[in-house]
Amino acid sequence: MSSSEPLLEVRSLSARWDHRPVLQDISFEVRADEVVVLLGPNGSGKTTLLRCLAGLEPLHGGEVRLEGRDLATVPTHRRGLALMFQEPALFPHRTVFENIAYAPLLQRRPRPEIDEVVGRFAGLLGLAGFEDRDPSTLSGGERQKVALARTLAARPRLVLLDEPFASIDVEARAELRAEFRRALRESRTGAIHVTHDREEGFFLGDRVGLLFEGRLDAWGSPGEIAQRPRTTRAAKFLGYNVLPGPDGPVAVWPTELRVRPEGGSAGTFTVVAAGTVGAEALVVLRSPEGERVEWRIPEPFARPAAGTQVSFGWPTSRPVGAGPGRP
Amino acid sequence: MTPPRGAVGLSLPVLAFVVLFALLPVAVLFATSLADSGGLAGAGALLADPLNRAAVGNSLEQGALSAALAVALGYPAGLFVGRFDFPGRGLLRSVLLVPFLLPSLIVVLGVEDLFSSGGLFASTSAGAGVLGSGVPAIVLVNLVFNLPLVVLLTATGCEVASRDLEESVATLGGSPARAYLDGWGRPTWVGAAAGGLLTFLFSALSFAPPLLLCGARCYTVEARIWSLDTVLLQPAAAGVLALAMLLLFLLPTLGYLWLARGLRADPGRRRRPTRRVSVHRPVDLALAAETLAVLGGVAAVLAAVLFRTLAPSGSEGAGAAWASLFSPATTARLGLSVPAAVGNTLVFAVAAAGIAVLLTVPAAFATLGRRSRTSLGLVLFLPLLVSPVVLAFALATFWRPILGGEGSVWVLVIVSQAMLALPFALQALATPLSGLPAASREAAQTLGASRFSAFLDADLPRARDGLVTAALLAFALGLGEFTATFFLVTPRFTTLPVALYGLANARQTPVADAAAGLLLLIALAVFVALSAGGRRVEL
Repeated sequence: MSSSEPLLEVRSLSARWDHRPVLQDISFEVRADEVVVLLGPNGSGKTTLLRCLAGLEPLHGGEVRLEGRDLATVPTHRRGLALMFQEPALFPHRTVFENIAYAPLLQRRPRPEIDEVVGRFAGLLGLAGFEDRDPSTLSGGERQKVALARTLAARPRLVLLDEPFASIDVEARAELRAEFRRALRESRTGAIHVTHDREEGFFLGDRVGLLFEGRLDAWGSPGEIAQRPRTTRAAKFLGYNVLPGPDGPVAVWPTELRVRPEGGSAGTFTVVAAGTVGAEALVVLRSPEGERVEWRIPEPFARPAAGTQVSFGWPTSRPVGAGPGRP
Repeated sequence: MTPPRGAVGLSLPVLAFVVLFALLPVAVLFATSLADSGGLAGAGALLADPLNRAAVGNSLEQGALSAALAVALGYPAGLFVGRFDFPGRGLLRSVLLVPFLLPSLIVVLGVEDLFSSGGLFASTSAGAGVLGSGVPAIVLVNLVFNLPLVVLLTATGCEVASRDLEESVATLGGSPARAYLDGWGRPTWVGAAAGGLLTFLFSALSFAPPLLLCGARCYTVEARIWSLDTVLLQPAAAGVLALAMLLLFLLPTLGYLWLARGLRADPGRRRRPTRRVSVHRPVDLALAAETLAVLGGVAAVLAAVLFRTLAPSGSEGAGAAWASLFSPATTARLGLSVPAAVGNTLVFAVAAAGIAVLLTVPAAFATLGRRSRTSLGLVLFLPLLVSPVVLAFALATFWRPILGGEGSVWVLVIVSQAMLALPFALQALATPLSGLPAASREAAQTLGASRFSAFLDADLPRARDGLVTAALLAFALGLGEFTATFFLVTPRFTTLPVALYGLANARQTPVADAAAGLLLLIALAVFVALSAGGRRVEL
């Protein structure tokens, strides 16, 4: 299969829980070797979507095709879509080696090949020397690495990653992200990664989708999605301020706000709180309509007092529509 | 989790209770029995006695047979109850507890009535008569009591299984059978093994079934100890046999405690959702059929017992039997009236439940810490190892001379009932507590509450059902307690189960059936209270 042909095709997928729609009309494609990230807030249907793809939840409508084959009647264990959870779900009664070797053993691969596969993925994820360890002796990050090694060793057609870094501390998370990205690239394994973390999504994804309330709101390259939010919902989720412009609402990045002592077209904002975040000052304000607005100033200790009235202008802005976008 | 500070202090009352009313009397009993029987050599000779060896053999045989059958029949039903969603599942889960709460004598008498010659089932099938007496009858009684425990513990295993692990196996290419073997099956094996060990212990240490259904040739160690002490007046021999029994059953008891720990859900772990039974899956249908057959069989026996006890079939009809229960003749036979026996039963059960709950709350707090849970839990579960007969024997030997004559009887009955209920009450409260996230408790601490106050304010209200369950469970166990009470009471303090035994032993069958019916009604009322609001009891 050429890399331009879709490996996975999702067409008009919908799912329900107790007659309540949780996913509606989801369509997208994933090419081999690419990492697709689905970004969305909690409750947007990200996990349900992965579970539907893996065959763990029934579809209410639509279809899922892998390499052109409809997966409707294919049971989970024969789909070749390996799902990795937020918690690593390692076998507590098996060593690290046995955990990684699990799928190759199921596939009855020869022993030398199993040893080679385990050694390769353990090395790829920095687990060399851990093979005889019991999973309970590992840190959270190490367990996630074992879980990924176990997943990659299964030679899945596609890896489904359900917020695998959510329970990892911030410092380890950054390193783990980099290692996951490298491991996926080097093993030439495609992946669908769901997360609510924007930074993580844009760092890992070759393509990014935004999922809100069970609907796919936007789809494109990380640059397209980050730079050109098409809806108010997407703009807010991505961290933009949505402000009134002359021709309707516009998305303005917090660093793009400029003080206009003479008064701005959006009215006067009231400072609620201000603090230092890294090399910037973060100021939280309220618009006259009560909307929260963030303003980032490249002066870490420039903190306007609470209650201060500020008017803004902005050199660049992006018009956003109120309705959902379509990939 | 580190042991809560103050846990040692708060566990002192319960430790003192267990030491003073179980460990110390039992240790003294063993020491004096060994000394009186001529040391280890004398003890060895006593144990070599053919009747004592036969009792050990009977215990092992009845225990092993009951456990094997309970696991074989109960495991598939446990999988069905734990994994599938079907109408009435919640009710079924609650009803499974009924046999455990039933006074043992009711089932013993019921089985005897139903399967012995002339019984309801024996008249419909020639083969059924085999179940009316001897080892088959004893095993049948043990199954009625314990099979639902195996079902419940297996179902609990299903429910604590990691859903993530099972789904990981599936997405890694493992078949459903592989997902069972490597994922969700393991906790169910732990549950079934725990149920099997509990069945083995309860059956090997049973008292009323061999006494009433078979006689001396089927005596378990428990019945033999009673016989040696109260019939043959050989307390030293009884003490030596009790020590041997304790050593013999130490391993399975520890095994059960170790396995039961594995059935506690991790806080935050995703609970396994049940799935609907599919008529297209042969495995689903097979499990449903097995469950229906097994639990239906148990229910049929219980229903027949209920019918027989509420409508005793004496020659003069049910009304006469019930009237006779409250007649002066019965009062004269028992040494007290039946209402007085009911009063004694309720007073003892309420007092025992009160003590058990008062001791359980600080003990549950103390067992929140992992290390203290292991060590303290072991001490608190010792009453499970010390059988009712041994406990009563030791209490009577040690405390009667100190407390005085008949006035001490009620104290010792209440203490013995509280002691025997303590492990189950503690389990009923400790299990939901161990499943609670620590965040609320820790938040209360950061707001200035002491560790125990935080436990009372943040944890206990969330485990309120567990607390109510612990109290009702202790009450129900006290209500039906026969073995230790039988050993300790005098006619003035006779309880309804002991009166029931007296009537049955005197072949006053219709009147005994009416007494059993009365006891059954009280036990069922407790069950209704226990299951109200969908409470779950962990064993």
